[in-house]
Amino acid sequence: MSKHVLIAEDDSSLAEMMGKVLHKYNVRVTITYNGQEALQALEKEVPDLLLLDVLMPVLDGHCVLKTMKEKRLDCPVIVLSNLSDRMTREKCKKMDVKNYFVKNDMDDDDLWPAIEKYLQ
Amino acid sequence: MSKKPSISASKKIALKLRVLAREKEVTRRKLVVTAKKLRIKARQLAVTAREKEVVRRKLVVTAKKLKLSYETLEKKILERTKDLEQVRAKDEAILASIGDGLVATDNNGRILLVNKAFERLMGWKETDTHGKHLSTILPMVDSNGKAIAESERLIMNALKNRTTTISTTSVYYKRKNGSSFPVAITVAPIFIGNRLIGAVKVFRDITKEKEIEKARSEFMSIASHQLRTPLTAIRWVLSSLKREHLPEEQQKLVHTAHETSTHMAATIKRMLMISHLEEDGMQPENVEVDMLTLLENVSRLHDAHRQRNGLELTLQCPQNLLVRTDKQLLVEILDNLLSNAYKYTAKGGKVSMRAAKEGAAIRIDVADTGYGIPQKEQKRIPEKFFRASNIASPVEAGTGIGLYMVYNIVRLIGGTISFVSKENKGTTFTLLFPS
Repeated sequence: MSKHVLIAEDDSSLAEMMGKVLHKYNVRVTITYNGQEALQALEKEVPDLLLLDVLMPVLDGHCVLKTMKEKRLDCPVIVLSNLSDRMTREKCKKMDVKNYFVKNDMDDDDLWPAIEKYLQ
Repeated sequence: MSKKPSISASKKIALKLRVLAREKEVTRRKLVVTAKKLRIKARQLAVTAREKEVVRRKLVVTAKKLKLSYETLEKKILERTKDLEQVRAKDEAILASIGDGLVATDNNGRILLVNKAFERLMGWKETDTHGKHLSTILPMVDSNGKAIAESERLIMNALKNRTTTISTTSVYYKRKNGSSFPVAITVAPIFIGNRLIGAVKVFRDITKEKEIEKARSEFMSIASHQLRTPLTAIRWVLSSLKREHLPEEQQKLVHTAHETSTHMAATIKRMLMISHLEEDGMQPENVEVDMLTLLENVSRLHDAHRQRNGLELTLQCPQNLLVRTDKQLLVEILDNLLSNAYKYTAKGGKVSMRAAKEGAAIRIDVADTGYGIPQKEQKRIPEKFFRASNIASPVEAGTGIGLYMVYNIVRLIGGTISFVSKENKGTTFTLLFPS
């Protein structure tokens, strides 16, 4: 069965772009636009990878991570955020986030290899 | 019977008569002498009287003259007084009409005088301020409402260095009622001859300017955010495409597109950072940084540029030089300095980055063998949008915000930056910051 990637990203253009690019890896992609939707999707099916934004309406990324811990919805998480401060990074690291990418940092060339690791 | 006088009796009478006549003659002679004396006296008196009259006449003339000069003098004094009053009234009117707040103090910072605008801006009456210390009447705070120390005040600087000083950072004055407003201040020492007698401070409420600045900054921030997200999408698609096995030509195009969009994203990032810096909204972090790794990472950002222009880079940094500072801000500083060094050095030139401990501080030199900055323009280096005139514009695109930002960030991390530059020899920027 093909791998399943869940995207939680409130910017629809970015989320849909990610979805389209991911299709080349022959994976199933579910797109959600806020933390609450993401949690609902997670409860329905724990994906093979979660691409998580931090600043989102309704529920933010931190809440999603916390609830996942509480409900033992375990899966690899890669955070893609606009926030670059240490506090946010460390908070995410504590929640066992695999990678933390700042959207505006220019480390794009590291992004896809990090994602691919969980799609094989 | 008739009686005839005797001869002896007649002789006696004649004798008496002769005696009488002699006595009268003596008396007459005496009278003549007296009369003569009196005449002389009278003549003398007449002379004296004449002389006195001359003196009197002279005195009258003098008195008249004195009276005249007194009157003239009085008139002149009145006129002068009137003139002076007019001048004073004019001076006072000018002082009172100055739209900016004005306060003059003595050498010890005690208030001598304030104007109407001061009263209006600060809520104090002139009479309340007289002789009071400036810091009690005019407390100065920073953007967080924290009091600014007496020694840090501009007026102290003006008195100490005897020069005119202008406020460059965001400072606020507290009114009598406790509310505060942002001000732009100019303080100048007051001299009488060579003697310093105090300082005069002129300040302006810049609330409006701040609001405009904030609106502009917010606009920039929103615009940058709006530009950023789609650009991220483009960058990620391109970086994904770079991993495909494309024909070489296409591979090159994708690489170029990715590099360009990354460059654009970096510019937007800078714009955002500047608006943050200008809003005083940036708080530096304090993390441990391995200097060598950081220098290597920064140099990697510009490796494509370096290779394209055949530039030689030397990195010099002791192993395990650990530094506590704001990593991102330091990267931003070095990124800008290195990018400038590459930009403004002709093909085949040399660039170096050297880091070392210097006392308690860290010193980083970024040197190049480039075009240099013309001597007379060197002062303008920290200005926003400044670009040196010896840079032919097609050579390298630049916005003139890089160094402006660097200078601001350096201040934020508590460091200093300086440079030496010689045209056609090169430039070395030296950064010193606490660890």
